[in-house]
Amino acid sequence: MLAEVGFIALFLAFVAAIYAVVAAVYGGRKHNDNWVHSARNAALLTLPLLLLSSGSLLIALINQQYQISYVWSVTNPNTPVFYRITALWGSQEGSILFWSLLMSLFSVGALVLNWRPQRRLMPWVIAYTMATLAFFIGLSLFLENPFERYWIVGNNEVVQTALIPANAVAPAATRLAQTANGLNPLLRHFGMIIHPPMLYLGFVGFVIPFAFAMAALASGDLSTNWIKATRRWALVAWLFLSLGLILGGRWAYDVLGWGGYWGWDPVENAAFLPWLIGTAFLHSVMIQEKRGMLKLWNMFLVIGTFSAVIFGTFATRSGLIESVHSFARSQIGFPMFAFWGIITLISVAMLLWRRNRGELQDDHQFANLLSRESLFVVNNVIFIALFLAIFWGSFGAPIISELFLDVNITLGTDYFMRVTPPLFAALYLLMGIAPLSAWGTTSLRRLGRSLIVPLVLTLLSLIVFVVGGMSDPGAMFAYGLVNLAGFVALHEIWRGASARVRTLNESWPRAVVALFGRNRRRYGGYIVHLGITIIGIGVIGSTLFQQETQRTIGLGETLTIDNYQLRYDDFTEAVATDGRLMQIADVSVLRNGQQVAQLRPRIDVYPQQPMTIAGAHSTLENDFYVLLVGWEEVSHSTATFKVFINPLVNLVWWGGLVLILGTFIAAWPTEPAVLRVEERMKNRRMRASA
Amino acid sequence: MAQATWEKSSTAAEQLRRGTRSADRMKFIVGGVLILAAVAYLIISGTATGARYFITIDEVVDNPEYVGQPVRISGVVLGESIVYDAETLRIEFTVANLPAEFDNLAEALHIAAEDEGSTRLAIVVENQVKPDLLQHEAQAILEGELGEDGVFYASSLLLKCPSRYEEAGPDQSIANPEV
Repeated sequence: MLAEVGFIALFLAFVAAIYAVVAAVYGGRKHNDNWVHSARNAALLTLPLLLLSSGSLLIALINQQYQISYVWSVTNPNTPVFYRITALWGSQEGSILFWSLLMSLFSVGALVLNWRPQRRLMPWVIAYTMATLAFFIGLSLFLENPFERYWIVGNNEVVQTALIPANAVAPAATRLAQTANGLNPLLRHFGMIIHPPMLYLGFVGFVIPFAFAMAALASGDLSTNWIKATRRWALVAWLFLSLGLILGGRWAYDVLGWGGYWGWDPVENAAFLPWLIGTAFLHSVMIQEKRGMLKLWNMFLVIGTFSAVIFGTFATRSGLIESVHSFARSQIGFPMFAFWGIITLISVAMLLWRRNRGELQDDHQFANLLSRESLFVVNNVIFIALFLAIFWGSFGAPIISELFLDVNITLGTDYFMRVTPPLFAALYLLMGIAPLSAWGTTSLRRLGRSLIVPLVLTLLSLIVFVVGGMSDPGAMFAYGLVNLAGFVALHEIWRGASARVRTLNESWPRAVVALFGRNRRRYGGYIVHLGITIIGIGVIGSTLFQQETQRTIGLGETLTIDNYQLRYDDFTEAVATDGRLMQIADVSVLRNGQQVAQLRPRIDVYPQQPMTIAGAHSTLENDFYVLLVGWEEVSHSTATFKVFINPLVNLVWWGGLVLILGTFIAAWPTEPAVLRVEERMKNRRMRASA
Repeated sequence: MAQATWEKSSTAAEQLRRGTRSADRMKFIVGGVLILAAVAYLIISGTATGARYFITIDEVVDNPEYVGQPVRISGVVLGESIVYDAETLRIEFTVANLPAEFDNLAEALHIAAEDEGSTRLAIVVENQVKPDLLQHEAQAILEGELGEDGVFYASSLLLKCPSRYEEAGPDQSIANPEV
């Protein structure tokens, strides 16, 4: 029953999305409002239908309907309810359905919130969002159906189909339950539970700015309207994508047990690529808004972001990462590649068409190398360079070598560690300088003057580092750049607030609040910069100064690393409620002879595989990270530990929180927008009462 | 007409302004070329140092020119061969050749592990905790080099076990409730 409901609702959503595309394009071209309204209603309808469809799958997961093959493959009777819920996006079929649900949610949000102010763009926004949605629903319906069920047909043969075959019998529920797979233990972590939804929200979020940009190209309304309408959507998408990346790193750090959080793996890179190009976009739209420049470039970036989103989804899901050949054989490989190629081609063609008609002319020319717009362009160039370098390393080199040279050449971590640091360094340098330069034209002298205070602060901070024992010149240089960017952000906030204190006689807290309120976008941006600085400090510390050791020690003995000691106290075995056997070492962490923590690194033995769970003592200064790697079988008299000290690694997560805060400030609706909504509500109430 | 107005406005000051504009443009072009050259240099030199051939066990064993070269190989872990010394963190195991192309990874891994005649290669990984996924019929992706002694010394080890989750379905026994 649940399978039927879910499947039919999914099918209806598919029909509604396709109808919306056709009606919107027809209504848009004929300037026929009835058709556009009908298209909007169909688009709005996709949300309840997809909610119904995903809801059915969710209930099937919670109620253990193992006849549905998706439920069978990602849960079993031992799976706790919480993980039954998260299993909705635990595997391919479910996550594509979930992708469609989020996509529909964002589209409906954009239609409802931007309907009135962007009336002219709307038919095309509907067409683009619904075409994307229809494609993903189509994948679910025809290739990766989460509602397929197991049936017994004819000669006791088990088949897996979405529609009930003739003379089919359902397999016995108890047998299905006994054999069910269960969720991969690697995915049982809070980072893995919220990481995919965050990433998907980031991905689908960028479809909205893309749809508006394409609507601008299609309708000919090439003013900054599409940018104004989508700035917040882009920021929200960017926030989710950033969160998804940080949580993914946190998951790798906690679960994969190698003491690191970023491995330059193609799957990670596939999610990082849209972030890079999306960040470039967020910066360069400001130039178009303020100076009417870079119109063509902004279109190019928004197309690039969307293209990178679809490419990333397709690369990670189609087997392309393993090899071009396995991609060719995967079911969704070619459809996704075709969709990506067609959308990208159409977009670029439309862009060139408008450009050749001379409709994307810039209002100003670049006048000065140190003007803010010039520095923003350099920032964009560096972001795109990073994009290209990482794309080349993860996909370009392997694919091209396989296609044209008939060998497979891959680029290892050393490639990324060589190519990306100089580019990141350039970005931090720009993050320090660009906020101080003015629009239009800036003199070197003026720029230098405003850099004095942050530079002095940076030097002071470096002196503190040297006194603290740091001597590596490369690290000093890196910290210099990163700290400068942070001090510039702080100094700008201080300057703004102190001006208010001086001229308006406000108290400091009041001045700071007012400052942020007056220009949320600018000062929210500074907070985001501060977050990126904090992340940078954490990344440099944990990458350059990580220490590790491993040893086998007896009960009561200690191993030493830096000024820490690890003492092996006890060994416990326990069985958890879900049936896994936990083998736990009790250890004490001592620093200069004083006990600072007790940790329980352990190995969980699931039926399918063991899983190493690290113990960590986290402080702002560092993480003391212990893995239990072996023990004397019967007596437990000795055990082997691997220990990492990861300096400043927690700043990576804390910086992430600061980044969230900054993005919220920047994206928060300004008062006029709030007033507009209230006004509208009031009008509506008056109309209703009249 | 348009031509005439243009002529009139083209004063000396205007010409000067246009002169500086083209000088500015020159600066932008030079700056852009410098940045592009630096990025191209980074990517090319990075590719030269980071590139590894991704080859099969057959290829690395059959071609002596790979001895001492950094390469990336992929093979099937044979479970019984795994020897792990937790004290020194030294892992030794044997992998069997996995063809470069296959339709279903789980199936290819199983067939390769069962095939007695396939090429085998001894692997040594130093200073690494035994990964949770190191088990029979896992796919091992190894970076390192083949030593003169015919043993592959891996500096990194990545494992995949597709058969454990997702790809496997229930076997035919669920068709028979009595079992």
